[in-house]
Amino acid sequence: MLRFILIRLAVAVPTLLGMSVVAFAIVAIAPGDPVMMELRALGVVPKPEDIAALRAEYGLDQPFLLRYLDWLGRAVQLDLGTSIATGRSVVTEIAMRLPATLSLAVSALIGAVLVSVVFGVCALSRNRGVAACMRGLTILLVSIPSFWLALLFIYLFVLTIGWGRLVSDGTWSDLILPALTLGLGAGASLGRVVYERIRAELSEDHIRLAIAKGLAPRRILISHIAPRIVGPLATAWANTFGALLGGVVIVESIFGWPGLGQLILQAIAQRDFPVIQAYLVFMGLIFFTMSILADIVVFFTDPQLRRTLSDD
Amino acid sequence: MVALLQVQNLSVGLPFSAPLLDAISFDIAESERVGLVGASGCGKSLTAGTLCGLLRTPLRVLAGSIRLDGTSLTDASPATWRAARGRSVFQIFQSPGTALTPVRRVGTQLAEAAQIAGRDTKAAVSQALDAVALQPDVTGLFPYQLSGGMKQRVLIAMALILRPRLLIADEPTTGLDVLTEHDILTALNTAADETGASVLFISHDLRAVRRIATRTLVMHAGRLVEDADIADLAISKAPAARALATAATALQNPC
Amino acid sequence: MIERHLSLPALRFGLRGGRFGLMMGVALLLGFVVLGLSPLFVDIAPPAQMDLLARLAGPSDTHPLGTDHLGRDVLSRLIHAVPVSLGAAFATMLAILAIALPWGVIAAVAGGRVDMVMMRLADIIMAFPTLVLALAIIGFMGASLQASIIGIAAAWWPSNARMVRALVLSASQRDFVRAAYLSGASRLRVIVRHILPQVLPPLAVIISLETASVLLALSALSFLGIGAQPPTPEWGAMLNQARPFFSQAPHMLLVPGLAVTAAVLALNLIGEGLRDLLDTREPYEW
Repeated sequence: MLRFILIRLAVAVPTLLGMSVVAFAIVAIAPGDPVMMELRALGVVPKPEDIAALRAEYGLDQPFLLRYLDWLGRAVQLDLGTSIATGRSVVTEIAMRLPATLSLAVSALIGAVLVSVVFGVCALSRNRGVAACMRGLTILLVSIPSFWLALLFIYLFVLTIGWGRLVSDGTWSDLILPALTLGLGAGASLGRVVYERIRAELSEDHIRLAIAKGLAPRRILISHIAPRIVGPLATAWANTFGALLGGVVIVESIFGWPGLGQLILQAIAQRDFPVIQAYLVFMGLIFFTMSILADIVVFFTDPQLRRTLSDD
Repeated sequence: MVALLQVQNLSVGLPFSAPLLDAISFDIAESERVGLVGASGCGKSLTAGTLCGLLRTPLRVLAGSIRLDGTSLTDASPATWRAARGRSVFQIFQSPGTALTPVRRVGTQLAEAAQIAGRDTKAAVSQALDAVALQPDVTGLFPYQLSGGMKQRVLIAMALILRPRLLIADEPTTGLDVLTEHDILTALNTAADETGASVLFISHDLRAVRRIATRTLVMHAGRLVEDADIADLAISKAPAARALATAATALQNPC
Repeated sequence: MIERHLSLPALRFGLRGGRFGLMMGVALLLGFVVLGLSPLFVDIAPPAQMDLLARLAGPSDTHPLGTDHLGRDVLSRLIHAVPVSLGAAFATMLAILAIALPWGVIAAVAGGRVDMVMMRLADIIMAFPTLVLALAIIGFMGASLQASIIGIAAAWWPSNARMVRALVLSASQRDFVRAAYLSGASRLRVIVRHILPQVLPPLAVIISLETASVLLALSALSFLGIGAQPPTPEWGAMLNQARPFFSQAPHMLLVPGLAVTAAVLALNLIGEGLRDLLDTREPYEW
């Protein structure tokens, strides 16, 4: 176990370094110099010597590698610069809104996992009508854009029935509609994975033996199929969480959920590079952690892998 | 006396096309051991699958009836089949390598069988493992840690625990070396002796069949062409039966 | 033995319902093609033509789907958005494939160190959540339809490259491919004659499902106002402009949303239908 985690972390180091290079390079090679941006934000018409002075001040006349190392050195101390728009530290800006975004993403993930199991299992029902309906519903839900579903929900629940509200202060009851919007779509696409995985297992020899033993479907599902598919599903959950981290941006802006969505959309509009960069770094790290957790689940549910990598 | 298994005019295939099993009829008596032989692809495994209700979706029983242990299994509901499986009929499949669920310990999978049979788990498992000459500590192992022969013996142990009235063994020795094959056939006979089960032993190899059964059914292209003593196959009227007997003799005599 | 012979007749019966979905998907997609081409044959109002007296009007004889906040005909904008929305999605998918196909094939065929390095590079990009990376790239390039195409292509290609690699690897492990190598066929010949034909059908499944997800992402970005910019007729952008008039003119919201859903549904149905047709597994019934 310990050995597996050490190996996994050792493998993670080059990936993390690579991620930091990507996050840094995106700014470094982006069209539009951040110095020009800042000057423009200050409302100054830049003179060439001002630009040169500022470039020197920011170290932009240094070679790429030096600038990267310098950036990395500050990044690991959680110093990712200040927002051009507000002048505040971007880490503070992000940290303020991160909990709201994470709670939305996590509740959407929980909803998605529940939905996916129901959809996946029902799509394998012996009753062909039920199975076909569930598969059709799954494909339909996967195809509805979350932003449109959000608008439909608002029209139906908020404007017509009068539940919920459009201005949100981050309380739990305001979480339900956005989480439902995100969870349904993500759950349907996870449901496809559940369906495919169970179907693949049902074609296997060992399931034939379980059936021949006289086990009931529920028992087969719980004790012969579930332990086999938990690993791959954990990986799918991690990927879904990654998709949700991006997806919350869309839904937050519609429901007025006070997460990172508004911040990042503003930053894109104002070309506030430090904010965008910090957003990329934070989301990347969170997703990366989820992927490692998923790998640990895979490790635990595969006895063969566990044995070859265990420390005995 | 009514036979344990009665199969009458059983046809299996896809709807609206030529059946893959064509009007098969045979009986198996209590505690009788019967061989079922034939060339690859003649429908032996399909017969075995049909008797366990394990047809894959587009395939289905087109005509005929199956009666096992006093219960009609023709067009039976999933619940009826579930009640019959394990207790009335159980099957040991070919390719033991993939037969056991990889992520669960052997002991757990055997214990599950004991629960179905309503027997005391610990005693039943250790008794069964002993009967097939496996160490008691295999219960703690995962299937990938066992050899092919050991896995097949675990399956026979499972049969011993379940004590089905009819045990179907579908080419249980395919892919195993000669010594292991000997052990498996011995274990299979032990299992049949101990449980008093009838055995339907499926193989393409008459030498293996001879170790288990004397009465032999011969299949050819989806039809049952012969039902005779294994010694009489060489003088059978069915060309397929004669061909099998000749091939078996030719293999035994060095050329 | 017998079971192998069964897959073909089972296909012909179309018992899994995949055919129905596939045909519905193809019909829907053809419908969009006809809709997109219709301005060439039928006289339709220009998408930018404003009628300020008929702002936010509901469906009528002159405007079958009503008008928007500037009095532009919604139907006309919807139709003129077909080539923009679908075109952008297909262009993005082409860009993704242009990177993912050579990347995956080379990694799989070369193996060893080359494979490892190429996959590690792809892993680094994949370590970011796709939409987040796309958002960041758009942020640095400035919001536009081109930027969102580039952003999505840059974020989507690595997972596609991985899938291509997996397909090629499993295809090249088949016995007849090994036999072809052993009999002295050149690498290129084996790839073209033996591996490619195996890879293409599952690749078609991946392409249609991925195009669906790309279309969803592109329209989401346009909806957020960082994809296609007004006055370009684009479904997501139309929805974005409709938001302030939510309660006054719900028809403005309904129609473009349905268009996106139907287009994504068409691609998903085609993908899933193809997958069903290719699926030769026959599960046991419990």
